Amino acid sequence: MRDDTLHEPEQALHVEDLTVTYGANPVLWDIDLDIPPGVMCAIVGPNGAGKSTLIKAALGLVRPVAGHVRFLGRPIGQMRGQIGYVPQRHSVDWDFPTTARDVVEMGLYRDLGWLRRPGKAEHARALAALAEVGMQDYADRQISQLSGGQQQRVFIARALVQDAPILILDEPMAGVDASTEAIIIALLKKLRDAGRTVIVVHHDLTTVQSYFDWLVMLNVRIIAQGPVAQTYSADNLRAAYGRHLAMIAVPAEEAAS
Amino acid sequence: MTAIIDLFSSDIVQTVLIGAALLGAISGMLGAFAVLRRQSLLGDALSHAALPGVCLGFLIAGGRDLGSVMVGAFATGALAALVMMLIVRRTSLKTDAALGIVLSVFFAVGIVLLTVIQTQGGSGSLGLMTFLFGQAAAILRSDLWVMGGVGLVALLLVLAFWKEFKLVSFDAAFARAQGFPVTALEAVLTVMVALAIVVGLQLVGVVLMVALLIAPAAAARQWTNSLGGMVVLSAAIGAASGAGGALVSATTRGLATGPVVVLIATGIVMVSLLIAPGRGLVWQATAARRARARISDGRVLATLQGFAQMHDDAGYPSERGMLQVALGVKPPAATLASLESRGLIRSVTHPPETTPHWELTKAGHSEAAALSGQPETRQRTT
Ligand SMILES: Nc1ncnc2c1ncn2[C@@H]1O[C@H](COP(=O)(O)OP(=O)(O)O)[C@@H](O)[C@H]1O
Ligand SMILES: [Mg+2]
Repeated sequence: MRDDTLHEPEQALHVEDLTVTYGANPVLWDIDLDIPPGVMCAIVGPNGAGKSTLIKAALGLVRPVAGHVRFLGRPIGQMRGQIGYVPQRHSVDWDFPTTARDVVEMGLYRDLGWLRRPGKAEHARALAALAEVGMQDYADRQISQLSGGQQQRVFIARALVQDAPILILDEPMAGVDASTEAIIIALLKKLRDAGRTVIVVHHDLTTVQSYFDWLVMLNVRIIAQGPVAQTYSADNLRAAYGRHLAMIAVPAEEAAS
Repeated sequence: MTAIIDLFSSDIVQTVLIGAALLGAISGMLGAFAVLRRQSLLGDALSHAALPGVCLGFLIAGGRDLGSVMVGAFATGALAALVMMLIVRRTSLKTDAALGIVLSVFFAVGIVLLTVIQTQGGSGSLGLMTFLFGQAAAILRSDLWVMGGVGLVALLLVLAFWKEFKLVSFDAAFARAQGFPVTALEAVLTVMVALAIVVGLQLVGVVLMVALLIAPAAAARQWTNSLGGMVVLSAAIGAASGAGGALVSATTRGLATGPVVVLIATGIVMVSLLIAPGRGLVWQATAARRARARISDGRVLATLQGFAQMHDDAGYPSERGMLQVALGVKPPAATLASLESRGLIRSVTHPPETTPHWELTKAGHSEAAALSGQPETRQRTT
């Protein structure tokens, strides 16, 4: 009983008329958004702009008051397991009694199905995912004993292990050291080059141009979206960030003018 | 000796021991999940809210029948959980305030009912008081079957949904994104906690029940780093506390079981917080002492030199607290004393501060420079 009529199947993520409120306040207002497959897309906007909420609404974790979301033409219910999700690191308690490899295996629980436990095959896949983020030596380490950057890499490995065509990461570079950031970006670019769609909530405007090829600017409403070269402009930044812009990098050629 | 053997061969003592151990094990096992999901306070509210249900069950059954008492306790507990959820969703009150209100209102109603039943008198109304602080001796052989059944169901559920419970306890948002029925899984976990409370009431009573839920889990967490280890150990600690408390109160006249069980469990928590390897206070203090011993004279000199360079002042007086921050541990007094006696540093005062300060001597500067291979800080010329 599956509805096979696809809606906008040529977009990795298609959002239309999406409005989300917490109580009476609209946090996202009438969002129309398209992200094509195979891009590395940054979602930027000031604190409280609704970036995390946009991701959660797209994944069906918060219920919108209006609008719809499609991944590759399908509603989220049909796409679970094909979307790797990396929540904000501080959304969980890292003192939970478990190891890095155990956390990565959680990305395989869905495929395993009910009643089955992870076995040798799952252990091996988890180790391979940890190796991709350079964490193979920490597989049996307690997660509370990892540094912030290492915890973030474990979270990314948990999404990688699913082999999903679409990856969504919420501020993966927040509070990590420079070397971890380099590892994460190199890995994400590699995945993008292999044809995956990578969507990243990003907080550091100075690196947007060097890291990403697609950009969504958000502040409750969509301010701009499209290829970075066309969307990363002083006007758009001012519209999204308002007067705080003085502290933020402005594209060189426009700043001079 | 023969007295003890007599004690164990007594039918009543056996029943009490088995029952208490069983109740402790169930609360310990389910308490581990409650603690990891930060639901300890919910457990407290649920157990207090069980009291009016206990009284209603007593009134309806016309006596102290475990089955109806448990159903009543479960019903008012569930009602309390529902009311709490509605308050949080529909009003601007936060969870802790909603918990506090629901806990006190339900408990007050329970106390009123309890007093009413007692003034009416009647057979067994005294037995109802045991639900306030618990009494293992009141456990009957037939009760064991009820407890065993609840324990078995909980155990089977935990085994069957082990990986789902683990995922939901660690990262519910991720579980939801993966398509797991998170609300249903969380409901099962909460209902099981409510069940553990209901069966545990007999042993420790509504007032202290939350301790039997939290204490074994808190103690177990200190000793193990895996969820499986924590759940098993927590059940074992719960069983030991239950059995120990039952024995003590069976052999000592006039001691209520509940408080003794809770004292044993919290005693185990105290010991665990102190001496558990890795997380215990003693262990951590020892580790800090070892780290301090590893602070070499050279690092202290280099740090003082660093401060001097940073302030462009060869005679910069560094406060002890600053050294501690820079080194990561308190600089050992012995190291400072030895450096001073070798003429490398000197103790100075830096009014108006009264804390000890240290500055590098000329020899100290040469020594630090030789160690680090960097040029000496120039003497300030002003
Ligand atoms: N669970 C919630 N309940 C109420 N308000 C929320 C909740 N989550 C987020 N908000 C509010 O919604 C707005 C957007 O939040 P969020 O999506 O986290 O922003 P961002 O990720 O862009 O910093 C903020 O003003 C925040 O305070
Ligand atoms: Mg956010």
